Amino acid sequence: MASWERGLSEPARRTVTDPLGRDQDPFADFRRVMLLELEQRFRYRHSLGKTSRFFLALEEGVLLGSRCLACGGVWLPPRALCPDDLTITSWQELPGTGRLMSWTGCSRAPSYADTGGAPYLLAYVALEGASTLFLHRLRGVDEGELEPGMPVRVAFSRGPVGHPLERFWFEPA
Amino acid sequence: MAERARTRGDRGLTDVVVLGVGLSRFSHDRLDGSIRDWVVEAVTAALEDGGLERDRLDLSVMAYESDHLAGQLGQGIIWHDSVGLAPRPTVRVEGGGATGGLAIRSALAQLRAGFGGCALVVGAERVGKSVSSATATELFAMSSDTDWELPVGGHFTAYYAMIMREHMRRYGTTEEQMAQVSVKNHGNARFHPLAQKPMALTVEEVMASPVIASPYKLLDCSLLSDGAAALVLATREWARRNAHSFADRPVIRLVGSGVATDRPRPGDRPWGAFAGFAAKRRAAEMAYAMAGVEEPRKELDVAEIYDSYTGAELMAYEALGLCEPGESGEMSDLGVFELGGELPINPSGGLLGFGAAAGATGIAQAAEIVTQLRGEADPRRQVEGAQLGLTDSHAGTATICAVHIFEREG
Ligand SMILES: [Zn+2]
Repeated sequence: MASWERGLSEPARRTVTDPLGRDQDPFADFRRVMLLELEQRFRYRHSLGKTSRFFLALEEGVLLGSRCLACGGVWLPPRALCPDDLTITSWQELPGTGRLMSWTGCSRAPSYADTGGAPYLLAYVALEGASTLFLHRLRGVDEGELEPGMPVRVAFSRGPVGHPLERFWFEPA
Repeated sequence: MAERARTRGDRGLTDVVVLGVGLSRFSHDRLDGSIRDWVVEAVTAALEDGGLERDRLDLSVMAYESDHLAGQLGQGIIWHDSVGLAPRPTVRVEGGGATGGLAIRSALAQLRAGFGGCALVVGAERVGKSVSSATATELFAMSSDTDWELPVGGHFTAYYAMIMREHMRRYGTTEEQMAQVSVKNHGNARFHPLAQKPMALTVEEVMASPVIASPYKLLDCSLLSDGAAALVLATREWARRNAHSFADRPVIRLVGSGVATDRPRPGDRPWGAFAGFAAKRRAAEMAYAMAGVEEPRKELDVAEIYDSYTGAELMAYEALGLCEPGESGEMSDLGVFELGGELPINPSGGLLGFGAAAGATGIAQAAEIVTQLRGEADPRRQVEGAQLGLTDSHAGTATICAVHIFEREG
């Protein structure tokens, strides 16, 4: 449940002007305004559902995609149902090596993910055996050294993580 | 020209015209009122523009993207009530940055279905300083995949940046060519009295602005705005019988509408289509087919297109068929889409210079195109003799795309 945090600070008071700058302000009697600080917090209980096995396998240092037997495509992120064929997929282990397809250097650390501060690199990687590109952080390399197509590999962490996706990242192979 | 006007978009469907357009002031932080006050401002302007009484409206379509930016769910009915429209029907439409475009399409469909003769379309968003820019980034990032893209630190500037990096690799597009779009759109905003960020910039200044997600820099990124926009659409028959000014003004018809979609995660798109907006191309083709447009670059006179980032505008030139894939950077060099050029794009200043209030965007674009087609824009941004105009907006990274075509008759 969300709850409003009240009384965070004393309401500020301002006198504002007509945003349209009219000679005769029709709202002249409504230009003294009060400003509130409101805060709202949520907590979600969220199931990773049919993709959970991907995250469980990460704990064993294994990368899984999902293969559609109808089209032969391997989805990563995995999908229990191939959206193209509406066929139930099978889990398939991937070697965790691939090629760098595109990247960006982000200058600000987001509030919602542990990127190890800023700057940080994000990359789309074509993993061997997967039909899609996977988005993740690229570590252990400077942006200036990156080349399209350069070989990268999945690296796994052993320590505790905030979100199960942080269990791995990409680094140069 | 007259021959074309009679046949365009005519498939035996009900003819729909734009009677009025209205905008609020767009600003980085409007403290003089809440979002419902800006809605009142835009609706009042649209009714006045159309010479219409509020009581004549049959229904409304309300457009906003996020319940959380304004901290208020169910804003559609609140806006509807704030201009006294109950007990008439209303519906809230949402589709990210395409929200306003989808709302126009919804109104078009409702009018063609005979649900009413006259529809009010309103879009608004509180994106300015309601929340910190970090929180705004997060709230928008939450429209990407919160299982797969958010937890690795993904956000929209980053996704667009990676798409553009591939465009640069594949076609040789340069950061300077992207910067030229920022110079153009901020410059055009100088001629719009309600624009948020009119600026006389140089390419060097854009290039020197701080990097947000390489290759995108601060001045490549669209604004965060508080703003509202309104449109009154009517069937031609209704307008002829009920709108006092209908006979005295140029008739602006809504002649084309197209919507198409793509896989929301860019990584799920085929690599060959990674640096192209496939859904935008499809939406445009749909709208062109409805409007009978065969050579868009030649036939269109003016367009407002979705410049969420400078490179997104370049990619839109290609997807909308205004140049070949990979040619957009060169078009930018040649000034083809500048005011005074062959086909002026974003004369209002666009999302970079005029403002970006998500739900309002597609409707504000339509307001600019209608103003241009009537010949009522500030002479410094008026495209002379404009007869045919296009609007283009999208959600995500061109994930839901909405394209509309408006024509001045006669
Ligand atoms: Zn399949």
